[in-house]
Amino acid sequence: MSETPIDDSELRDLMKGYQRADSAALDELVRRISPPLMRYFRGLRINRTDAEDLLQDCWIRIHRSRHTYRPTDPVMPWIYAIARHTRLDAYRKGRRLDSREVLVAAVPENLAQPIHEPPGQEAELTQLLENLPEAQREVIVMLKVSGMSLEEVAKATSSTIGAVKQRAHRAYTTLRRALGKDREIAKEAK
Amino acid sequence: MPKKPSDADIERQMEAWANAHSDVELSPEIQRQIQGKLTASLSPVNPLPSQGWLVLSFIAIFAVCSALLIGVLGKAGFHLMTTAQMAGTAVIFTAGGILFAQILAWRMIPGSRPSFPVPLAMALSGLAVIGAIAALFPWRASGPFVSEGWPCAILELIIAIPATFVFWLAARRGALFASARLGATITGLAVFLALVPLQTQCMFQQAPHLLFWHGGAAAAAVGLGGLIGKFQRHRSAF
Repeated sequence: MSETPIDDSELRDLMKGYQRADSAALDELVRRISPPLMRYFRGLRINRTDAEDLLQDCWIRIHRSRHTYRPTDPVMPWIYAIARHTRLDAYRKGRRLDSREVLVAAVPENLAQPIHEPPGQEAELTQLLENLPEAQREVIVMLKVSGMSLEEVAKATSSTIGAVKQRAHRAYTTLRRALGKDREIAKEAK
Repeated sequence: MPKKPSDADIERQMEAWANAHSDVELSPEIQRQIQGKLTASLSPVNPLPSQGWLVLSFIAIFAVCSALLIGVLGKAGFHLMTTAQMAGTAVIFTAGGILFAQILAWRMIPGSRPSFPVPLAMALSGLAVIGAIAALFPWRASGPFVSEGWPCAILELIIAIPATFVFWLAARRGALFASARLGATITGLAVFLALVPLQTQCMFQQAPHLLFWHGGAAAAAVGLGGLIGKFQRHRSAF
């Protein structure tokens, strides 16, 4: 996992403080939760500016829904469920706007640039991950980039652990097949 | 022949890819903006009650509204039913109400695991209603099918529409994300509520009438609810 796990019991206490209108608890929550949320958005091929907008939108939704958090439940699946809907709504909005725009000039092929241009195998994997179906890529990002458990991903995506395992398995199968094929092509080219 | 990458290979590459995303910096300016916006409207809130309490509150609305409507519309049809028909419809409608109340309560809280998938709930409750009516009620028409039937369908919709609004108001305390499934869930609950007084006041207790006019109107209402939910989702995306 790339991320240091956040202590959930501390987050629960902060959420309780947030619900009691403790501004120090709110500041601490924003400080701790914003970076993993940003990583989640960026892991889903969203460019930096859009990711920052999404982050702000997501926090407004968290703020409006803060009464729906129950102190007995883990915090991160609740946060990621809201983040996921924020992203889905933004994605739909983007698609709607795209479909209404009139093309007047050639546009860049991919406006959502990856974080950086990774070298070699990493670039290959980045490319393959980008071609995965949305649901599979989301599960991979939550498991690998956000460092969530299967249980947490299931809660955040409103699905079952079995369904999450299945999506991850399919993603791995696709990647294994695609990586194998790419290497065969590379070998033939040599 | 080049060797196919193993799971360990992919895992290693995935770790490298994930690490590339872990150094995403968040500008302090953005963080301050978020903190400023939220602090300006910070006030104490009462957490939602447990999921069990939410389910109970929906069931209470269901029971009170059904009882009131039975009181208003009468129970002429109730006296025409056999004990098996009464028991069968009571079990199906109560189970449907509880199932949809549970799904709606789950949808109010982000990050909670579904107790039952909505499409499966729809399919099972539809099959249960069709199966119970087909098995328990006689397959003969008592009179003109259309002129006897359409008032029942209209009455069902007249009850289901405000009931949908009542359940939507009750569910609004949660964090509802508009979707076709949410629309279908709320109308599903409202339709089961509407079916109870309709069944007890209806004078035509025959399977073709119940399936077509009661069941058909129920399916149409749920479909419409799903469409409205889908439309709302698209609207909220603007």
